[in-house]
Amino acid sequence: MPVRKAARLFVGLFAAMAVLGMAADAEAQEKKIKIGVIYDLTGPLAGGGSELQYIGAKIVLDQYVKSGVEGYKVEAVYADAQSKPDVAINEAVRLIEQEKVDMLLGFYSSAQCVPVAGRVEQLKKFMWITTCISSAVLDGKNYKYVFRPQASGDQFGMMTMDFIAQNSKAKLGKEPKDLRVAIIHEDGAYGVDVAKGNEAGAKKAGFQIVLKEGYSATAPDLSALVTKLKRARPDVLFHTGYNPDITLFGRQAREQGLKVAALIGHGAGYGVYEKLKEGLGVDANYVFNTDPISIWAANQKTMDPKLPPVIKMVGEEFDKVKPGVAIRSAHVGMAASNTYLFLTDVLPRAIKKYGGVDPEALRKAALDVDVPEGGTMLGFGVKFPAEGAQMAGQNERSFPVVIQYVDDKSYVVWPKSQAVREAVLPLPKGTTFSNQ
Amino acid sequence: MQGFLDIFDIYLLEAVINGILLGGVLALLALGLNLIFGVIDVTWICYAELVMIGMYGMYYMVQVFGLPYWAAAPFAIMLVAALGAALHYFVIAPLLTAAPINQLLATGGVLFILQSFATVAFGIDFRNLGIRLPVLTLGEMHFSYSRLLSFIAALAGMIVVYLFMTRTFTGTAIRAIAQDRQIMSLMGVDTKRIYLVTSALGGALAGLAACLLVLQYDVHPFVGLSFGPITFLICVLGGLGNFIGGFIAAFVFAEIISLGGLFSDLEWGYVLAFAFFIVMMFIRPAGLMARRS
Repeated sequence: MPVRKAARLFVGLFAAMAVLGMAADAEAQEKKIKIGVIYDLTGPLAGGGSELQYIGAKIVLDQYVKSGVEGYKVEAVYADAQSKPDVAINEAVRLIEQEKVDMLLGFYSSAQCVPVAGRVEQLKKFMWITTCISSAVLDGKNYKYVFRPQASGDQFGMMTMDFIAQNSKAKLGKEPKDLRVAIIHEDGAYGVDVAKGNEAGAKKAGFQIVLKEGYSATAPDLSALVTKLKRARPDVLFHTGYNPDITLFGRQAREQGLKVAALIGHGAGYGVYEKLKEGLGVDANYVFNTDPISIWAANQKTMDPKLPPVIKMVGEEFDKVKPGVAIRSAHVGMAASNTYLFLTDVLPRAIKKYGGVDPEALRKAALDVDVPEGGTMLGFGVKFPAEGAQMAGQNERSFPVVIQYVDDKSYVVWPKSQAVREAVLPLPKGTTFSNQ
Repeated sequence: MQGFLDIFDIYLLEAVINGILLGGVLALLALGLNLIFGVIDVTWICYAELVMIGMYGMYYMVQVFGLPYWAAAPFAIMLVAALGAALHYFVIAPLLTAAPINQLLATGGVLFILQSFATVAFGIDFRNLGIRLPVLTLGEMHFSYSRLLSFIAALAGMIVVYLFMTRTFTGTAIRAIAQDRQIMSLMGVDTKRIYLVTSALGGALAGLAACLLVLQYDVHPFVGLSFGPITFLICVLGGLGNFIGGFIAAFVFAEIISLGGLFSDLEWGYVLAFAFFIVMMFIRPAGLMARRS
């Protein structure tokens, strides 16, 4: 009897341990981070670059959905902002309150980023911005839960002005004080911010600003703007727009005979070469664009050695989704790199050092990020300023580069540390917009 | 004197002429919508989306199937004409006696259906016909041939519609129905057929606009958003259903946009145009060319 009793006790104990063990396993399996991902998959912004950003982020997320991070499952919930700020806000709130996501990632348009960041901060949720660049998202806001590894809009504007300032005498044969520049931009948060950077850069360089003007990205006609530009006779035109306003402007500028020494774009529509070429034809040749460097053009020799295989993988996966693309847009790599940074740096630290994936742990982990130059696929490093700083949440080490499209290829031409060739400046004689 | 010359220079003339050419584009868009409203007394909120479908038709025929532009255009016009007739048959006809708001909501629903259909069927990419027409140069002034074509088409379209309405039996019947819907059926006129013909004609005019707009704009599912609201404003400003009023309103609107944009920020051109519209609605609520009752 005692033996039977002992056996029953042993079996009972074993069963209890098994049940407890399974429960513990189940609990371990339940450990997961649910990430709400928002880009524009429909509406004008989708074709203007947002869909490419979505593809880049998804390629990286898919890898970690398979493997998980530090014992946590990764689940991505995607939402379409439909190119509308109100929809972006509603989707962000829906993902947080109904889908119970732990954080939000993505956002293409600055017009969406500005209000969504405010709302997410209010809800005390973590937001990781991969794309939108307007300084207005973070400037003076002192948000605690919103972080952006991406360069800011005024940096874009300053970078292109610096590029022209350093080349004014040598390439354009004019002292900066004699150089006439025009700044035109779509009138949303993105265009206004880049133009602000342009203006500050122009003043710093001593350029003459002959025209600075905003326009609605959905305006059906820009001919009056082109006429004003012709009257103002700028040497260099700095343009910030989405699409299709860029192609409409380019087409009307050609038809109305606008002539300049250089046409310089600032990301968004200028970052999607395929569409630029389709819309402008040969006129897309020699156009400049400013963006974070394309991950496929970044200098891999100075990069963290674990990154080149990731870049290769992103390229291969992208080619499966969009085969036959002549120049892989920088948009894809931008989202891929910034998503990868979160999943390989911020998230593991939050789990290991701060014990989970709640907003506090993610925030502390983000503030600890200290990636040196060459530590991301985009070439730049990452460091967020301490709380209370003017641009809290903005990566201090990010920078865009100036590229030029030459014969269906893109080349980094500025800053000199990243440049792979000399810029073709001014526009060669015989090209549509050339004032030579 | 110098101040005068600074303002009244060659660029002012260019802006005036560009305003006229933009007016041609807007007049072309307003023509079909005015016809529909004038006869059937229904506002097609989805009119600009019919233009968008026509633009896609042109893109696929020219870029994908390799048809020459001039051969593709009649097919695109027929396609949108058939769509216009189908819209009337399936959506408008069952609602002819319903409250105007129901008709408005129904065509608003069609707007979203067409946008979503285009997104699913054609994707979100911007498509371009890839045709570069030459530029007309007069001294320092340059003008777009595609805009010139739109202007000529709008003018010709208005004359043809006018002649059709005044010189043919069907046109006379259409005008008669526009005046009194009930009495014409008592006099033996097949109103259903006339409505269908009118809708097809309105659709054909949207198709014609599509053929010319596709030379100037990228095609995407939401291209209608750029034109739809302005087209409605012009129709209302000219007097809904009044072809000549719509034609003149298009040019007035376009000139305000063009010259307002030249002398101030481009955005102010649109603000001035919309402010003018609001003021005119107070002064002449039935439209610029409305007859005094």
